[in-house]
Amino acid sequence: MIGQRAERKEDARLVSGRGRYLADHDVPGLCHIAILRSMTAHARLLHVDTTLACALPGVVAVLTQAELDAVGARAMTHRLPLPGVQPLEWTVLARDTVRFVGEPIAAVIATTRAIAEDALELIEVEDEPLPVVVDPFAALEPGASLLHPEWGTNEFFRMTALPPPLATAIEQAPHVLRTRFTHHRVAALPLEGHGAQAARDIGTGVLRVYASNQQPHQLRTVIAETCGLAESEVVVVSPDMGGGFGNKQHFTREECLVALCAIAVDRPVRWSQDRSEGLTASIHSREQVHDVVAAYDDDGKVLAYRVDVTANVGDPVLYFSGLGPALVTVGALEGAYNFGVVGFDLRCVATNTCPIGAYRGFGQPEAHFTSERTLDQIAATLGLDPVVVRRRNLLPDSPRPWVTGGGARVDVGALGPHLDELVAAFDYDGWRARQARARAAGRAVGIGLSTLVQGTAPTQYGVAGRFGSYECAAVDVLPDGRITVVVGSKSQGQAHETTLAQVAADALGVGIERVNVSDGDTAALPYGMGSWGSRTAVMAGGAVLIAARRLRAKMDRIAAHMGRNPTFDEIAEEAWWHPHRLPSDETPGLYESVVYTPGNTIPVPNDDGHLNFDETFGAHMTAIAVEVDCDTGEVHVLDAVLVSDCGVVINPMVVEGQHQGAFAQGLGAVLLEEVRYDDEGQPLTATLLDYTIPEATDVPVLRVIHRETPSTVAGGFRGVGEAAIIATPAAIAGAVADALAPFGIAITSTRLHAHQLRALLRAAGYTPDAAAFARR
Amino acid sequence: MKVNVKLEVNADPAEVQVEPRETLLDVVREHLGLTGAHAGCEQGSCGACTVLLDGEPVRSCLVFAVQCENKPVTTIEAFGRPDALHPVMDAFRRHHGLQCGFCTPAMVLTAIALLAENPNPAEDDVRQALAGNLCRCTGYAGIVAAVLDPTARP
Amino acid sequence: MPPAGRVRARRHLDRGGVKAAPFDYLRARSPAEVVETLAADEGAKVIAGGQSLAPLMALRLARPTLLVDIEDLHLDTVAVENDGLRIGAGTTHRTLERHATVAQAAPLLREAASLIGYPAIRVRGTIGGSLAHADPAAELPAALVALGASVVAVGPAGERVIPAADLATGFLTTTLEPTELLVEIRLPAARRGSGAAFCEWAPRAGDFAVAGIAVVVERNPQGVCAAVHAAACGVGSTARDRSEAFAGVIGERHARDSLLRDVAGRFDHELLGLLAARALHRALERAA
Repeated sequence: MIGQRAERKEDARLVSGRGRYLADHDVPGLCHIAILRSMTAHARLLHVDTTLACALPGVVAVLTQAELDAVGARAMTHRLPLPGVQPLEWTVLARDTVRFVGEPIAAVIATTRAIAEDALELIEVEDEPLPVVVDPFAALEPGASLLHPEWGTNEFFRMTALPPPLATAIEQAPHVLRTRFTHHRVAALPLEGHGAQAARDIGTGVLRVYASNQQPHQLRTVIAETCGLAESEVVVVSPDMGGGFGNKQHFTREECLVALCAIAVDRPVRWSQDRSEGLTASIHSREQVHDVVAAYDDDGKVLAYRVDVTANVGDPVLYFSGLGPALVTVGALEGAYNFGVVGFDLRCVATNTCPIGAYRGFGQPEAHFTSERTLDQIAATLGLDPVVVRRRNLLPDSPRPWVTGGGARVDVGALGPHLDELVAAFDYDGWRARQARARAAGRAVGIGLSTLVQGTAPTQYGVAGRFGSYECAAVDVLPDGRITVVVGSKSQGQAHETTLAQVAADALGVGIERVNVSDGDTAALPYGMGSWGSRTAVMAGGAVLIAARRLRAKMDRIAAHMGRNPTFDEIAEEAWWHPHRLPSDETPGLYESVVYTPGNTIPVPNDDGHLNFDETFGAHMTAIAVEVDCDTGEVHVLDAVLVSDCGVVINPMVVEGQHQGAFAQGLGAVLLEEVRYDDEGQPLTATLLDYTIPEATDVPVLRVIHRETPSTVAGGFRGVGEAAIIATPAAIAGAVADALAPFGIAITSTRLHAHQLRALLRAAGYTPDAAAFARR
Repeated sequence: MKVNVKLEVNADPAEVQVEPRETLLDVVREHLGLTGAHAGCEQGSCGACTVLLDGEPVRSCLVFAVQCENKPVTTIEAFGRPDALHPVMDAFRRHHGLQCGFCTPAMVLTAIALLAENPNPAEDDVRQALAGNLCRCTGYAGIVAAVLDPTARP
Repeated sequence: MPPAGRVRARRHLDRGGVKAAPFDYLRARSPAEVVETLAADEGAKVIAGGQSLAPLMALRLARPTLLVDIEDLHLDTVAVENDGLRIGAGTTHRTLERHATVAQAAPLLREAASLIGYPAIRVRGTIGGSLAHADPAAELPAALVALGASVVAVGPAGERVIPAADLATGFLTTTLEPTELLVEIRLPAARRGSGAAFCEWAPRAGDFAVAGIAVVVERNPQGVCAAVHAAACGVGSTARDRSEAFAGVIGERHARDSLLRDVAGRFDHELLGLLAARALHRALERAA
């Protein structure tokens, strides 16, 4: 039932090692692909000699772009419909120029991966290195080396929205905060890397592609286009996925490469991304610099807010690229707040680094960190409590939806009482008292807050140039009374087999053990939009709910007609096996397919110039208490509470799991993780020893308290997967800033690793006492 | 050049022809079809490949199959089936100790080994013992709760 | 900017690969066979637990063409003999963590071993492997320097005893010849009145230590500190003796605040200095 802490149906097979992930699909004759990748960050490719590699025993073929062209490969493009986006096409394999370390140049297909790796070492590349730009500001300097000279610049995209009243409001305000916040580069790092496996059926001509991808139907579209095939000639199946987190929602060159390899060699082929590829040559995220001007009054109310965003998008050879998250950032600047007159200047800059793309949160973490840090700094300057300052800026309780200047239609519950609940649940006053005592004893304890309104279930149209805000579901009741649900969403571990079963079971009035949910197979539904953007409960849940309700209504009508209080199974049998006995206006069977759209999004500017990215919104209030060990720079979380409103909760256990996992990623992003490059564009974090994600000893338990303000979409769901990854970096940074405030240290970066905090403390004059340290 | 290696996997003898460079992970997955051990990094830094070698958890990506002659190998498949879960597996399910499941077989094996040695670990002991098994989905809370559950014992 | 021209497109050393390069495998039956094989084949390398070697091979940073497995040599006995502890080079970290004799005669080794990586690493990794690999962040080489240990190597010229302090000569480099095999580690058993501690700091549990230090103190029968030996890891290119930083402890009885601060101040690396003070404090407490 909806609301139940149902144990997950998928667990029995996953926990016993019987899940089937991409690399678990061995087939006879399967060959393996290893990819030759650029070792320089920027170079003209003069010659690629594959002769020796081709001759190695066990090698089936070595393909460069020329060979892909010969089997009909088309170029890829970002398709963004926005005015001012630089035109950009790229081939699956680099042909003339490489622009980041790791860019794919050639593919070796061999009987084993090990032999393919041996063959890589026999390929000779002749290239002419070109100057490298890694830093987006350097890339914008006049005379900087250009990635795409035909642009005349490295600016991939520029968008400004600076309403005339903004400058005046800033000028006239009693106080102005001007500061810069930097968001460093991280990697989503699903534990299972990307992968794809393809084979063409000689009989039917259908190209069947397994891919660890969050958006299988759309991948089908892109693969068909890139291979020059009709979409009906391609089937994509996304099997059990070992995580995705947005990292697997793009449509990558490698996935198209695998398809083309299968066509070229007429054998089943597989590519499994190795860990170093995943860390250096996949998709990175988050790198943005925010220059903030916040004008405010004596009460801390923000009257005008301008954020200039400089987003490093890497070499943006990615459909739909780092431009997507950057657009979301500038659309989400206010979040839970009303900041009066709001404006932005967005520059997306190309550099010789791995493409930037999606990661859980998709631009909202950057916007939210900046708004929270801004409010905290305003509070500190005015000597006001940060809770008080947030209250003053929160969206008023009405009207709903609250329409922002840009057209976003924010529809959440009342935020004031929500914040009250956080203050009570966290025992905010108690923590302030504890903090005072700790400070008196020389300990750096701090409290950080996050008051978040999260856009969910967005339309992808604005960042991808096509696709809409809808989802497909097909629900049927079989003659034996079992129920199958097929959805266009795609689980990467978020319990959809259980939660969507709960939705269907609830509407049909049966137990979830009768309901089988499946996803990922593009042959099973005409289209689907996948899972990302906290959309599945809203979109797939809504579609399933509507379909199941229709079936229940039909079953009720049939039952009434049968007249003898039939059981669920008897009705099902009647509908499929004795259709002549049904009411005359009733079709046989019990089968509903639904394409559902809530209808709230405005994907392209309407006549008012309004855009609304999100179907609905969630609200989440978080408080975190930390202690900073000033000697080592370590941050210890002492308590963390999240009061979560994701509308009607399908399964509280699953929601808590999503928050706990996102909390761990948010904590890792600020305390442990960073993707680093040197000045020549060489990756410095290529293994899990360099890119350190949280371990079991690093992540405390996040206390989650549920609030339910039903949304206006079907089922009252709001979506929730990304909430804690957006909230946590902001709250931890706020807590660290609060802890270090007595030292006069300002926190203006997401980098809060131990060595960085040590450096800040030493620069502020803190010296450890070895004797005290020794005794701890 | 392939060599003949006699293994004992899940109490069954298994003779395989392998290159010496094939790891135990490669062999259990590709020669024996036991795909519950997963390749998360193949560099020894994530733990997703954990199997038991002579009853102790090891990173199967760091062991060459040729090194395993006469040493019993046990994989996750030996500890339960979807319709007959090991108590530790069942505890993981009850406590929401998995989401995508990719790290899970390794977590379960490491937990089983821990509990065999220390049937009543404190929370810190559990976290320390599992520190070498990376999970990106769960944030570890459900995993730790599962291992601390007194019913999670063989 | 590198010059234009032909560039052999091998995987860049820093970027890693996957799947080891091909090699042959030999399971040795005696130390003599190991030595003969190493002498006859330049591409031969010893493998024990493989926890240091296998990752390097997987990344193709190490490419031996012949692996000589010493598992069957059973170099894993631990025994006390005439106040000295003899530990086979093939003894796993797990054994060092658990063996009653080690706990008794060399508690510092137990503590150092328990800090190595993760349980699955300790099950396979060996003390000999750690010493031969000479990672500057490794705990055991530093502990053995502080304990005044020696290692025994056998080679074509016979047996050689090398003080642990002289073993590592640089980053991942030892004085061992490519034809030599480590067979044993010898160290004096812990004396009455001695106490030892190992302290390190790493960003996460099990990570390579950013800084670490082993400290051994010895009290005379009057309870006054008569000797301190210490060795650091993580900082610098090898484990290094840092006993000189503790000279001021000689003649002291207690870890007064001023003494702890003085010791810490003798280290350029601030974190290492803090850890040194902590290790000293604990070692003195344990030296009853």
